[in-house]
Amino acid sequence: MIKKFKLGMITTAFAFVASTCVIVAPGVLVSGVASAAPSQIALNLANEQGNLWGCAFNPFNPTDSAFSIGPVYETLDFVDALNNAKVTPWLASSYVWSNANKTVTFTIRSGAMWTDGTPLTAADVYYTLNLLKTHSALDVNALWSVLSSVSSSGNKVTVNFKTSAVPYFYYLAGLTPIVPKHLWTKVANPVTYTDTAPIGSGGYVMNHCTPQNIKYTANKNYWQKGMAQVQVVNYPAFLSNNTCNEYLAQGLGQWGSQFIPSIKTQYVNKAKGNNYWFPAIANVSIFPNLTVPGLDDPKVRLAMSYALNRSAISTIGEYGYEAPSNQTGIVTPTYSKWLSASVSSSLGKSYDVAKTASILTADGYAKVNGVWTKDGKQLAFSLMTNGGYSDWVASAQVMTQQLNAAGFKITLNLPASTTFYNDIYTGNYQLAYNSETGGPSPYYEFRQALYSKNSAAIGTDASSNWERYNNPAVDSLLNNYAATTSTATQHTIINQLESIMATTAPIIPVLQSAEWFEFNATHFGNFPSPSNPYAQPALYAEPDWGYVVDQLKPKA
Amino acid sequence: MKFLVRRVGFLLITLWVAVTVNFFIPRLMPGNPAEAMMATFRGHVNPAAIHALEVAFGINTKESLLASYGQYLVNVLHGNLGISTSNFPLPVTTVIAKGLPWSLGLVGLSTILGFLIGTSLGAIAAWRRGGWLDNVLPPMFIVISAFPYFWVGLLSIWFFALTLNWFPFVGPYTSTTIPTFTWPFILDVLKHAVLPSFTILITSIGGWILTMRNNMITVVAEDYVKMARAKGLKPSRILWQYAGRNALLPNLTGFAMSLGFVISGAILVEYVYNYPGVGFMLLNAVSAQDFPLMQALFLLITVAVLLAIFVSDVATALLDPRTRNSR
Amino acid sequence: MTILRRALGVLGASWRFLRRDKKAMGGAIILFILLLISAFPSWFILDDPQAEIFTPAMGLSWAHPLGTTSFGQDVFSQLMAGTRESMMVAMLVGLFSTVISVVIGISAAYIGGIFDDALSLFTDVVLVIPTFPLIIVITAYLKGATFWLMVAVLVITGWSYGARQLRVQALSLRNRDYLLAARARGESAWYVISVELIPPMTSLIVANFLGAALYAVLAESGLQFIGLGNINSESWGTMLYWAQNNEALYSGLPLWALAPGIAIAVLGSALALLNYAFDEIANPALRPVSRRRASKVVPS
Repeated sequence: MIKKFKLGMITTAFAFVASTCVIVAPGVLVSGVASAAPSQIALNLANEQGNLWGCAFNPFNPTDSAFSIGPVYETLDFVDALNNAKVTPWLASSYVWSNANKTVTFTIRSGAMWTDGTPLTAADVYYTLNLLKTHSALDVNALWSVLSSVSSSGNKVTVNFKTSAVPYFYYLAGLTPIVPKHLWTKVANPVTYTDTAPIGSGGYVMNHCTPQNIKYTANKNYWQKGMAQVQVVNYPAFLSNNTCNEYLAQGLGQWGSQFIPSIKTQYVNKAKGNNYWFPAIANVSIFPNLTVPGLDDPKVRLAMSYALNRSAISTIGEYGYEAPSNQTGIVTPTYSKWLSASVSSSLGKSYDVAKTASILTADGYAKVNGVWTKDGKQLAFSLMTNGGYSDWVASAQVMTQQLNAAGFKITLNLPASTTFYNDIYTGNYQLAYNSETGGPSPYYEFRQALYSKNSAAIGTDASSNWERYNNPAVDSLLNNYAATTSTATQHTIINQLESIMATTAPIIPVLQSAEWFEFNATHFGNFPSPSNPYAQPALYAEPDWGYVVDQLKPKA
Repeated sequence: MKFLVRRVGFLLITLWVAVTVNFFIPRLMPGNPAEAMMATFRGHVNPAAIHALEVAFGINTKESLLASYGQYLVNVLHGNLGISTSNFPLPVTTVIAKGLPWSLGLVGLSTILGFLIGTSLGAIAAWRRGGWLDNVLPPMFIVISAFPYFWVGLLSIWFFALTLNWFPFVGPYTSTTIPTFTWPFILDVLKHAVLPSFTILITSIGGWILTMRNNMITVVAEDYVKMARAKGLKPSRILWQYAGRNALLPNLTGFAMSLGFVISGAILVEYVYNYPGVGFMLLNAVSAQDFPLMQALFLLITVAVLLAIFVSDVATALLDPRTRNSR
Repeated sequence: MTILRRALGVLGASWRFLRRDKKAMGGAIILFILLLISAFPSWFILDDPQAEIFTPAMGLSWAHPLGTTSFGQDVFSQLMAGTRESMMVAMLVGLFSTVISVVIGISAAYIGGIFDDALSLFTDVVLVIPTFPLIIVITAYLKGATFWLMVAVLVITGWSYGARQLRVQALSLRNRDYLLAARARGESAWYVISVELIPPMTSLIVANFLGAALYAVLAESGLQFIGLGNINSESWGTMLYWAQNNEALYSGLPLWALAPGIAIAVLGSALALLNYAFDEIANPALRPVSRRRASKVVPS
């Protein structure tokens, strides 16, 4: 989506501004890093949020977390979604699964330190995890729906799960920020705590915040020696895409997470060194409401999938930035290793109107007045998408034209954000174009979309699985995946899920949900790239962006 | 005295209507702030967290409509306008305080400037009835004031900022600087204000010209002006001190109203220029579905307008006794 | 018969006035052309305005006089197709607001007493509540306004100014001899209002219609521009919304954004010029040329 990804889609652009150097120079000197090049310019981020900064940094508040998780607060491990869920130790130096994959024990590294000089210990980790238990509003990843207990001794923290939950490692170790016990125990109400001067353990210190800009400076005592070499990071607030894109195009911003129309002419060609990469880890899909007559028929859904010319949708709706998906649901090339060749080839051409016709004819449908009809019932549905995302709207308009051309009767419905989510959560829709968040392997998107426990009866909120899919075989496949650490078993399970997607189309993946990432490598090196995808590169990816800043290399 | 009572009564009734409208509009619509927030998490949040958020927002669906209406009135009187969902956990008042100075500065100054220039031109046009100013200005500004504000803004950005590169057009100042009371910073602020201010001026000035001209035409025909002329007073003195003053009186209410509207900012101008004033904030609250912020802003804008009208009514009555009995 | 004769008389006078007033004539001609386009859009449209069939982001050419959008739609066709909605909104809001203004303003003035007090208070309250923010709040809750909703919202917020003006003028006419005479004759209130009271106010009513229409055009396009209208509709404001969202100004497609704005400005100017002309009829003191002192109508 273009505007406001998550509410907090922090379109940040790290940009260098010559004028900024002058202003930030004193800050650089004060930080006392004499060895750093005194002329180093600031890294300016460009990520439009349409809002001024609230200058609040509570890492458990989804509105603010993207400003603190990563650069300021760190997680136990770093999980790279773009590189086969590769785990890099962060605050935990190691971890080990035991007890039939129901228990994971972390060893907390020694030497890590809060920026107020207090050492970071296992007690902080233990405190943080229990904080989420006592304040469920802070537990945005619903950890305590799968955890049973946490204990700590020495430098070890042991976490017990109710059932085997290997994939939950990502949420537990990869997404949960660790906060200092000695400061947070003094906080009266952690839910409404604004945390205006955060004390973290990360490579950066929040130095100064105005509604217009957040200035981070390198943590000179950072426990990871040689990291956090960029001295100053500015995160200006942009109120609209236009201005933010212009800022990037002029080379003022060095790192952006923006949807830029016609990016070649509007960005790449405008300043030397401008470049972009839009990797994906999830799909944007049509979610058919499986309780609606007609859409409960897998043949109809499959026929619909073949009626979509995904490359045209990609070109017109997304300027080609979001690659076409396939009906297996596997995002490529990110997860190509998981793609089953046999399932993939059984699908044949992705866009095949003749196949739409043959599937529907075999299913007993015939065209009456140009619309597929069976027993007097037309395949007539309404398709809704979030009216606030103009790229999704444009894509949905193209889809509607295509489906209608293939003999469906689709009407387009473009509600505003709240209505859209309200309707999709409660199942008050027929076809919806939306995306799941995904995770570091295809499992996460499949589980979000297909696991029956994520669904709910029509009229009550489903957290995901909005189409109301309920298949015990799929549930047990997903449970088996959660119980294993064997890569081979995981691949077998995912391939079976692909086959179910390809034959029954519980959801219809259309395009791959791209992460917007523009960068200018003139002054800073080591940005993530297709050949070195060491982190998700979007500024709204937390903790990834902080992890990336830690590793950027200023150029002389 | 009776006049004052009537005006105060009117003020209170209007305030009450505004507050009530403000209370009922959201309650007639589906969804609640916690759900709106959940929408922003895109299905990431567990039900317990939502419930906890509902508690944090003070959403109690079991309360009767009347009881919550009463509670709402009490809260408004105490200036307790709730928590902004898009800036959680910041209270609405804190959020508004960030935008208010920018609206007051930009829109306030532009409004006053527009009024001064417009009324002067209008007075001169009427004084020199049929002169070139009178022939050119009215039709020109009739046309210009029918232009959409925001489009004049777009046009100015395209022409002055993008094509000619004369002015910056993003925000109130170069965002990575830290605000200080120094000349370079103040200059930076002024430079950023030129285009939005120009947009407001060009689209608002026509109204002042026309009303002042029309008032003036009526006044100039009055006997006391003729008398002054007959007495051989200097024309400029008659223009500004006799006719101008009296022609200005009816315009005061309009001026007061537009001063009241300063609080609301020039909504679309702020939007087009990314000027972080109250008007921008309102649109932002709309797109983030931040209903507490939206309502508080609407209330603030309404109160400002009502107070401005009240003050101008009283002032006009003091200056011009005739109006006291006219209603 | 009398009603008709009087109305015709006023219209005739208006026509004679239009012919002499260049501003008004200009406005009337523009309005007529726009009416023609919205009545028969197919005469002017080159291609399906929504179809994304052309090379995106083309510049000017004979085939595409205003270029294409970044979706590959023809800008000129969109502009022509969008005329209808803006005109419809202008005319409908103008009409409905004027009807409400006339009913409330004149009945308040004619009946008088507590009834007048109550209606005047109501009018004043609606008048001073800030309209545009209110519309934004309402449409935000309505999750974007459909065409009729938009019309309804604009009417609800747009009638009060006219009602107040009309009340004042009706009050000044109420105690004229011919009206008192009509009442003394025992004519029904309906007769007095429609035959004796309304015809002399025609020009003010027309001016109000034009004012409300102008307000509607500007407010509607503003709302659509910020995405609070139906973003799937064919209208100038919606064109601006899409142009802004795809950064037409910044990506070398300024016409996509500037053309619909010019169209709105042209329609707005036509309404404003006519409005001004009718204001001059209603208030003879303002007339540039004519010094006729036919009816001394008190300006509001």
